[in-house]
This record gives sequence, structure tokens and C-alpha cells, in this order.
Amino acid sequence: MSISTIPRLRRRRWRRAFDTLAFLAVLSGLGWLIVEGAGALHYNWQWYRIPQYLYRIEDDVFYAGPLLRGLGVTLELTGWSLLLTVFFGLAAALLQRSTSWAGHAVARIYVEIVRNTPLLVQLYLVYFILAPILGLDRFVAAVLALAIFEGAFAAEIFRAGIEAIPGGQWEAGHALGLSSPKVHRFIILPQAIRLVLPPLTGLAVSLIKHSALVSVIAVADLTTEGRNLIADTFMTFELWFTVAALYLALTTSLSLLVSWLERRLPAPSAGH
Amino acid sequence: MPPQKLRFGWLDGLILAVGLGLVGYVFYRAQFHFHYNWNWQLIPGYFVRQDAESGKWILNLLGQGFLATVRLALWSGLLAALIGGVVGVCRVARSLFLRLISRAYVELIRNIPPLVFIFIFYFFISGQIMPLLNVEDRIAAASPETLRVLAWLFGPPELLLNFLSGLICLAMFEGAYIAEIVRAGIEAVPKGQSEAARALGMHSGQVLSEIVLPQAVEKMIPPLAGQFISLIKDSSLISLISIQELTFTGTELAVSSGRVFEVWLTVAMLYFLLCFGLARLFRGVERRLSQHRQH
Repeated sequence: MSISTIPRLRRRRWRRAFDTLAFLAVLSGLGWLIVEGAGALHYNWQWYRIPQYLYRIEDDVFYAGPLLRGLGVTLELTGWSLLLTVFFGLAAALLQRSTSWAGHAVARIYVEIVRNTPLLVQLYLVYFILAPILGLDRFVAAVLALAIFEGAFAAEIFRAGIEAIPGGQWEAGHALGLSSPKVHRFIILPQAIRLVLPPLTGLAVSLIKHSALVSVIAVADLTTEGRNLIADTFMTFELWFTVAALYLALTTSLSLLVSWLERRLPAPSAGH
Repeated sequence: MPPQKLRFGWLDGLILAVGLGLVGYVFYRAQFHFHYNWNWQLIPGYFVRQDAESGKWILNLLGQGFLATVRLALWSGLLAALIGGVVGVCRVARSLFLRLISRAYVELIRNIPPLVFIFIFYFFISGQIMPLLNVEDRIAAASPETLRVLAWLFGPPELLLNFLSGLICLAMFEGAYIAEIVRAGIEAVPKGQSEAARALGMHSGQVLSEIVLPQAVEKMIPPLAGQFISLIKDSSLISLISIQELTFTGTELAVSSGRVFEVWLTVAMLYFLLCFGLARLFRGVERRLSQHRQH
């Protein structure tokens, strides 16, 4: 390092500190604006009432409040729909790759319909049409609607994952005398899983976000609990901010998992 | 693996049998257990109807809703492109301050559910920003000609305030996604390009506007087209804060007419036609452009 770069480095460090401070100043300015704006509406901040809606401790026993229970329902909903999503997505991806004419048509129609209509309308279709006809309850309807929606996007992830496996793997499998389904099961899919895992975790993030929509059909998830509490207590801002923070915690931790997975699992194409 | 030729085999028989079986079962249940009597003849009347007094044909609920969705998509698409462009350029700016601000905006919006964002933001927009801009008084004071132009651009004036709130909500939210597209487009331009421009003596604004952006825009167009279709789909969420677009009028109609199945199937079909048609159109244009570029 030459001597002349040292002042420049120091100046850069000052600049960084200044920029960070300016950023924090803008954030607190926005916060002030919110508080001030709410003050103009004669809004009464009651943050101290929020913790009881998260949890209660009575006689050293932990009780989950409505918000945490809602978070639990959101997780449950996401878990079940993720399972079904993987099933729908894998089925659609394999059908698109098959030589079957009808399989192609079914997978194509499924993906196009789901991708070109809003999730909210799909949810209404399942809840108002399919559920009463088949006698499904609202939780099942919500899981089904979310899984149908995300499945069409999972199909694309699986298709890309399978197609990224080098052609030599297929040829080798066939040369060993394996049938096409067996090549898929024993050779291609185990390798594709590694490729598919990071984008699939990303899909789980969007599944959590989209699951907020089921509050429209009154499934008792985090958003519904938040809306109910707002209707009861009129603490609109405190509750919405808490709900948003809970979602944020959930999705950012999953997003961090995605970037960790992407670093941990090297792209197999590099080795071939 | 190269795509294989399609043929008709045992799998097709199975898939067709299962598919037809499922559809048949649903119809059987609808007809004989749920006892739904379909009445599709009413649906065209929900698009346009003849006014009883003047005898003129006017748009009914579904027609109005469809038009509102198209207007909402166009205007918020424009605003979102503006927001996304500015924020996206900030994402790759040299100043740490701009990077932090834009990163916070994008990450915040992308990591909370759209529904929660819309509910929170709607309170601010309708409660604070709209009174600040004095929109209501301005509409009341506008001349009939201005009102006619406004009605043509934004829909009925009595719903204008509502429409603007929904439009800003949607644009703020989609802007974060567009910002990521813009950032990816700029980052996809090889670094050598801006280094070369700087070596030629251009200052950083010039490098951005004359060298980097023209190349980046070309890369952004396909994902932007996809994002526009997402915007149309996401605009259905705005119905939950009572903006009167297609999903909202669909809900209203389903409740008031009782034709739940027909109305929701029609609404879904309208969205499908709009989005699928646009997707085909964009794909066609894209193919044309890439052919054109090769010659």
C-alpha cells in the first residue's frame, strides 16, 4: 500500500460512517412522521398492551396468545401446502417431460391457468365452488388453493432442475439397462434435489407470504388473528406492525437459509 | 435430454380416465348433492345492460370492474416503473446511503405479505397523504371538462380518491419488484463497459445514461413484461381495501345475484383472457425483436 492511499481509505471510512448515520436519520425521520401523523389523527399508542396478545405466563406456565397461535396456524398451513405443492409440482414437471400426449396437455393447461389468474380469484374458486360441492372445510380449501397455486411455479423449478442434469447421466443409465422411470428415480432425481432445494426454499418464503390471503376466507392464521384483534381493540398500527414484524422474522430467516444453502450446495454442472 | 416425440400410450388412457373421472365426480356432486342449477344466460347482462329510461347501452358491474382493472394496471404499471427505476438505480449506486435506503425499501416490501403491506399502507395513504394533497377538494372544484377527462382516464370521479389510493398502494408494492429487475439488468452489463466509458472521460451520470442503461433496458424487457402480468394479478388484492375493480365487483355481484359459481368462473376467465393474451402478445413481440436483431 502506498502512502497516498491511506488518506483516501480514511476518507472512505468517514463517508461510510456518514452514509450509515444519514440512513439511520432518515429511518428515524420516517418513524417520527408515523408517530406525528398518528398524533394528528388523535391516535392513542398503546404498545404496552401488545405482549399479552403474543403470550401470557401464569404460574410459570407459558400460554400462547392469539398472535402466536395465529403464527402456528400460518406455519401449519404452509407446511401442509408445501407438501402438496411438491407433489403437484413434481407431477406437472414429470408429465411435461413424458412422451404422453395427454400428460403434456394436462400439465400445460394446469400451469397456464394457474399462472394467468390471480391467487385471490383461485382461492374464491376453491372456497366458493369446489369446497361446498365436495364438502371440504375451510382449512383444507385454503391448503388446496395455496398448493395448486404454488405447484405451478414448483413445476418450473423441478423442470429446470431435471434439465440441468447433464445428458450423459441419462445415457449412462440407459446403457446400464435401466428403464426411463428407473433412470429418473435412481439417477436424475437424487441429483436434481440438490439443485432444486434453494429455489424450493424460496418458494416456501412466498408460500408464507401468500398464506396471509387465507384470512379472506377466515382461516385463523396470523393475519386473521391480527384483523380480529384490531376489530376488538382498535390498535390498528401496533397490531399491524407486530404482524408484519412476525412475518418479516419468518421470511427473512428462511431467506437467510436460502442463501446459506446456495453457498453450501455447489452447482453440480461445475464438476462436469 | 432432447424432447421426445409425443405419442398416445397407456399413460394417456390412465390420465384421461382419471381426469374425466374427477371432473365428472365434481359435476355429479354439484348436480345431485349440492343441487345447483346453472344459469349462464344472466352473465352477458352483467357486462352491459340497457338503461331502462334512456334505452342506451351502459356497462354493468362486470364491465365496469374489468375496465377499472385495466385502468388500474396501466396507471400503477407506469408509476411502479418510475419507482422501480429510481430505486433500482439506487440499489447499484456508489453512495452507501442510497444503497441502504433502497435495500431497506425492497427487502421490507418483498418480505412481508402483500396483503399486510396493503392494509398498513392504505391507512397512511387514505388517512394522511390524500388529505395532504387535498385531492378531495380539488375534485370538487374541478370543471365539468376536467371531470370528463379524469373520468375517461381514471374512471368515475366519485370513486377517484379511492382509485388513487389503490393505485399508489399497488405501485409502491410492485415498484420493489421492478427495482430488483432493474438492478439485475444493470448488473448484467459487463463491468468492462462502464470502465471503458470512464476511461473515455465520461462522468458517472453519463456512463449510466449513455452506456449502461441502454444495454440494461434490453435485458430488462422480458422480466418487466412478466412483472406487468403479475401486477394485473396482484391488482385483485386491492379489492380487499374496497377499490372497485374486477374482483370487488365480482364479490358484489356474487353476493347480490346469488349466481356464485357462474360469476366467479366468469371473473377467473376474464383475468385469464387478459393475462394469457398479454403473455402471448409479449412473447410474440420478443421473438420478433430477437429475429430483427439477428439480421
